Amino acid sequence: MKLNIEGLLVYFPYDYIYPEQYSYMLELKRTLDAKGHGVLEMPSGTGKTISLLSLIVAYQRAFPLEVTKLIYCSRTVPEIEKVVEELRKLMEFYSKETGETNNFLALALSSRKNLCIHPEVSSLRFGKEVDGKCHSLTASYIRAQRHSNPNQPVCRFYEEFDAVGRQVPLPAGIYNLDDLKDFGRRKGWCPYYLARYAILHANIVVYSYHYLLDPKIADLVSKELAKKSVVVFDEAHNIDNVCIDSMSVNITRRTLDRCQNNVDTLQNTIQKIKETDAAKLREEYRRLVDGLKEASVARETDIYLSNPVLPDEILQEAVPGTIRTAEHFVGFLRRFLEYLKSRLRVQHVVQESTPQFLKDIFDKVCIDRKPLRFCAERLQSLLRTLEIADIADFSAVTLISNFATLVSTYSQGFTIIIEPFEDRTPTIANPVLHFSCMDPSIAIKPVFQRFQSVVITSGTLSPLDIYPRILDFRPVTMASFTMTLARTCLCPLIVGRGNDQVALSSKFETREDFAVIRNYGNLLLEMSAVVPDGIVAFFTSYVYMENIVASWYEQGILENIQRNKLIFIETQDAAETSMALEKYQEACENGRGAILLSVARGKVSEGIDFVHHFGRAVIMFGVPYVYTQSRILKARLEYLRDQFQIRENDFLTFDAMRHAAQCVGRAIRGKTDYGLMIFADKRYARADKRGKLPRWIQEHITDGSLNLTVDETVQLSKHFLRQMAQPFRQEDQLGLSLLTLEQLQSEEMLKKITQIAHQT
Amino acid sequence: MASLSEEVLLVVKKVRQRKQDGTLYLMAERIAWGPEGKDRFTVSHLYADIRCQKISPDGKSKIQLQLVLHTGESTTFHFANESSALKDRDAAKELLQQLLPKFKKKANKELEEKNRMLQEDPVLFQLYKDLVVSQVISAEEFWANRLGGINNTDPGLCDNKQEVGISGAFLADIRPQTDGCNGLRYNLTADIIESIFRTYPAVKQKYSENVPHNLTEKEFWTRFFQSHYFHRDRINTGTQDIFSECAKQDDKGLKSMVSQGVKNPLVDLLSLEDKTLDEVRFNWTDSNRTVKDSSNSAIIKRFNHHSAMVLAAGSRKGDTQVDQASETSSTDGNSRDSDFFQPPVRLQEAIEYEDLQRENGPKTVALNLKKADRYAHGPVPLQSQQYTTSQDIINSVNYIQHEMANYKPNLTQVLSSTSASSAIAALSPGGVLMQAGAQQAINQMVPPEVQGELKHLYAAAGELLRHFWACFPVNTPFLEEKLTGHLEEMLQTAYSKFHIWQTRRMMRKT
Repeated sequence: MKLNIEGLLVYFPYDYIYPEQYSYMLELKRTLDAKGHGVLEMPSGTGKTISLLSLIVAYQRAFPLEVTKLIYCSRTVPEIEKVVEELRKLMEFYSKETGETNNFLALALSSRKNLCIHPEVSSLRFGKEVDGKCHSLTASYIRAQRHSNPNQPVCRFYEEFDAVGRQVPLPAGIYNLDDLKDFGRRKGWCPYYLARYAILHANIVVYSYHYLLDPKIADLVSKELAKKSVVVFDEAHNIDNVCIDSMSVNITRRTLDRCQNNVDTLQNTIQKIKETDAAKLREEYRRLVDGLKEASVARETDIYLSNPVLPDEILQEAVPGTIRTAEHFVGFLRRFLEYLKSRLRVQHVVQESTPQFLKDIFDKVCIDRKPLRFCAERLQSLLRTLEIADIADFSAVTLISNFATLVSTYSQGFTIIIEPFEDRTPTIANPVLHFSCMDPSIAIKPVFQRFQSVVITSGTLSPLDIYPRILDFRPVTMASFTMTLARTCLCPLIVGRGNDQVALSSKFETREDFAVIRNYGNLLLEMSAVVPDGIVAFFTSYVYMENIVASWYEQGILENIQRNKLIFIETQDAAETSMALEKYQEACENGRGAILLSVARGKVSEGIDFVHHFGRAVIMFGVPYVYTQSRILKARLEYLRDQFQIRENDFLTFDAMRHAAQCVGRAIRGKTDYGLMIFADKRYARADKRGKLPRWIQEHITDGSLNLTVDETVQLSKHFLRQMAQPFRQEDQLGLSLLTLEQLQSEEMLKKITQIAHQT
Repeated sequence: MASLSEEVLLVVKKVRQRKQDGTLYLMAERIAWGPEGKDRFTVSHLYADIRCQKISPDGKSKIQLQLVLHTGESTTFHFANESSALKDRDAAKELLQQLLPKFKKKANKELEEKNRMLQEDPVLFQLYKDLVVSQVISAEEFWANRLGGINNTDPGLCDNKQEVGISGAFLADIRPQTDGCNGLRYNLTADIIESIFRTYPAVKQKYSENVPHNLTEKEFWTRFFQSHYFHRDRINTGTQDIFSECAKQDDKGLKSMVSQGVKNPLVDLLSLEDKTLDEVRFNWTDSNRTVKDSSNSAIIKRFNHHSAMVLAAGSRKGDTQVDQASETSSTDGNSRDSDFFQPPVRLQEAIEYEDLQRENGPKTVALNLKKADRYAHGPVPLQSQQYTTSQDIINSVNYIQHEMANYKPNLTQVLSSTSASSAIAALSPGGVLMQAGAQQAINQMVPPEVQGELKHLYAAAGELLRHFWACFPVNTPFLEEKLTGHLEEMLQTAYSKFHIWQTRRMMRKT
């Protein structure tokens, strides 16, 4: 289908289109035209990705000088692969329609673990091991050593790529991870480095958030990407937490111990090098006097994505003399380390700002702010000079030096909290220093500044206006789209009472209440008898789930549920949970039916879809508030209140509701799909909670389903499921929620479509 | 000799049978004995017919070997060679010991098959009792045209009845009952035991190790229910518990299942995240944080394991076939490729929007419901759908009140008291008018045991008639003999049996 989106010819690789897709493309085009940023919410399963890709590709073809590159960031590896497959479909459609071969280059980039083809290295199971092993085969000095010692093992794929791979650009086409590996195998080139090199001239790059948001990774991978790029953050409802995580540091006693070992190793290596190759250290010294000029030149000419860890000021300066020689620097690290150790010996909780911390460190061990700021850069330089093979071993000291740089760079937006023990186990000493970022805009600021358009999109972004506030940017478009439906395929129900009229709620005062737990159990039991195939139930936290499961077990509720369905439970161990998930799907597949007990904010709630029979009902037990007693959270709330005028309760509710929406949204993955969404907490009925759900869910909550009992819920569910089980054909949708080109062009429909987008 | 072509494995002279001297021959497929000086065998048994052999105790003066047949008959051979009797006997015994198992399997298979058919088909069993046990026809004849049909069909088709899965709640079904004096009673059925064994192979292993050598079956299960293994929520302490090993094995099994990883990349949580790169990330935390082993997490583990095992037990059969298939395909080197192509297929499925495409699949016929409501609510008794409003109700109440107020009995037109009482009598149970309705169906009049007996007789007679008609056309002497010989006789017997039954019933009735 060829569409006309305000004068832009868009190829859309399907015969039909959803009205909201059209509307979405309109908004997206306006965003690109204005060269600004946008926030767009559209329900999952309405073909968001393909709409995005179709429009941006068309835009790139129409205005090749305006938009040179699309950087598509998604969350998980399967998501990345899905995007590339959709793109492949689009490109196939293009070449079929236009009859010419495309000169588009699009590729996915992932970590070495997913791209390595070296027979030994790729067989390692953990990403860290793969990275470490790869580094030990490809680091520049290792390869330099090979000149003198031919027995030194190197990676032949990398050697081959280095020799010839850079001269010939990657031929145009769509490269998924497997395609890259295939290509690499054919040519004998390393697919990982090939991909990293190719993203510079690719038209479309698909990779994970972290490659753009995590300053350290972004510095390596993404800093040279063109300014005239469009950046898309898909599934971006959690983007603020990703930003915060990427800038926060936790230091435990174990970290410090390992750091101590690292420093000792450094010292020994320096000693050894001094005896054999003193010239190397002198060379380094000379470089450091020159300062970090190269980086500064690059940033001024606007070639690089700036690194928030590398503040502008230090680029102009030389590395201070106190840490310029290798021994001095190691001594400096020792002092810093001792200071941190002494801070971890506290008996009570300490919370302080970064200036306070700097003052204290100056008073106690006479460490100035300036050398601290150069710490990270200085360590990198040293590690390079000392030719350390296995960088993974030095993770602890790298962490500490990053902390030093961050703490001395930012006087605002961060807080330092030292806790001598965990709140739940006050007798066991386990001191942790949290250096926590409270301002997500710090990490994402370079992205907004550097790139022409940044689009933040997800199925659940409500309320839309909060994202620009906490990420500190000005969007040109903000829109929420509803899902046009020919039949109401989602059924949100709020269960407020048990059959015995006990109010259901997970709030703190009643969460241990026997009656509430029993009623929750009854709800699940009754639902397990009516809902076919898969049910997914989410709890507010892992501890809460453990307690409830234990008490259901004692009351024999679980046994009764087992009569209807098999039970699988998420554990804290990811591998175990993966297995449970697979078995869960198997049980749904073979008709036995199963229940998955899971946790909101957990890995399952974030990354796994439960399409069709894998999730006919989602039950949300309680409102998934974050653990409010956490000091880090309290500090962040305070910061939000002071800086952005966001009230604590508003933020907490927003955060809880976006996670609830994420959880229940797992079940609906398209218009042909259907599912029950059961909110089992009476607090959902309140307007302030309900109003924060995405519009496409809110619309279907009727006044009659605000405070149901368990029995009523079962009755409504039965009715809903029977209706939904009727055959649903394309004709039923046509003209309503599914349009042909002719229908789309009719006046009436265009008028209707303008109502779909809900501007804020 | 009649069949010299047969391979003779052992010849033993001077063997007595029924006080007659003769020679014992062990051949490839049978054992035979012929009296001295004659060239035919008076005793000949196929090995397949022999159930077992018995020998006389060492100290006894007579050195004998007894063969017990499946039919229950037995034949005894007396080794009479004075000098080498013992050696002869042992040689024969050894050889038989080697030969019998080979044939046993075949024989047992048939027997098992017969047994299974009888157990699965109660009608057949009854028939068997009626005809064979009461010696109307012989067992061979009975099976002759039964087994024929079975052996001809593909054994794979009818041998395996569909495997029954395991209920997820089988442990819940053995809920203990208190027996009144501080004890608990668990009810176990064969099904549940089967379920336990299939779900927890470790328990089965323990069972076969310990029962009946160390424990009786009852003791075994008592210990099972007492064990920490069964109550896994309690922290495991006792080491003398024979099931503590099972728990360990289960843990190991779970671990191995986990370490195998998952095949579907879409659910592999370990590889979802994509954030490792050259440098370690900032918020580096201890990766090998040990998860506290509380009793609650043990329950969770247990549920996951239990569900996985139940699922595996249900689909084990299919799995082995798949495994075999993959093994065979791996020999030609294709399996890697097929593995390789799997993820894109899954991804393709995941990005499909089936409703956005033109339909090109096979047209299906949609179920056309006239009244979707009826479907949604199930059958409901027909009732008038007219709702009465409250105004209607008030109106009608008023109307009735009005009627009642104006009610005047019309005494000249009422029924006389006698006719009224006779009408009541006629309408009460036992009255004239009530009898028509009390007509009982024949199956209620005849007591069930009589019905049963009659059914059996009918079935038996039917079977005999089948044999009878199967003899036509009479084109072999065997059939002719069967027809004129015992079939007539059999029918006669059956008839007289029926007659006896009939008279007995009559006698009882009167």
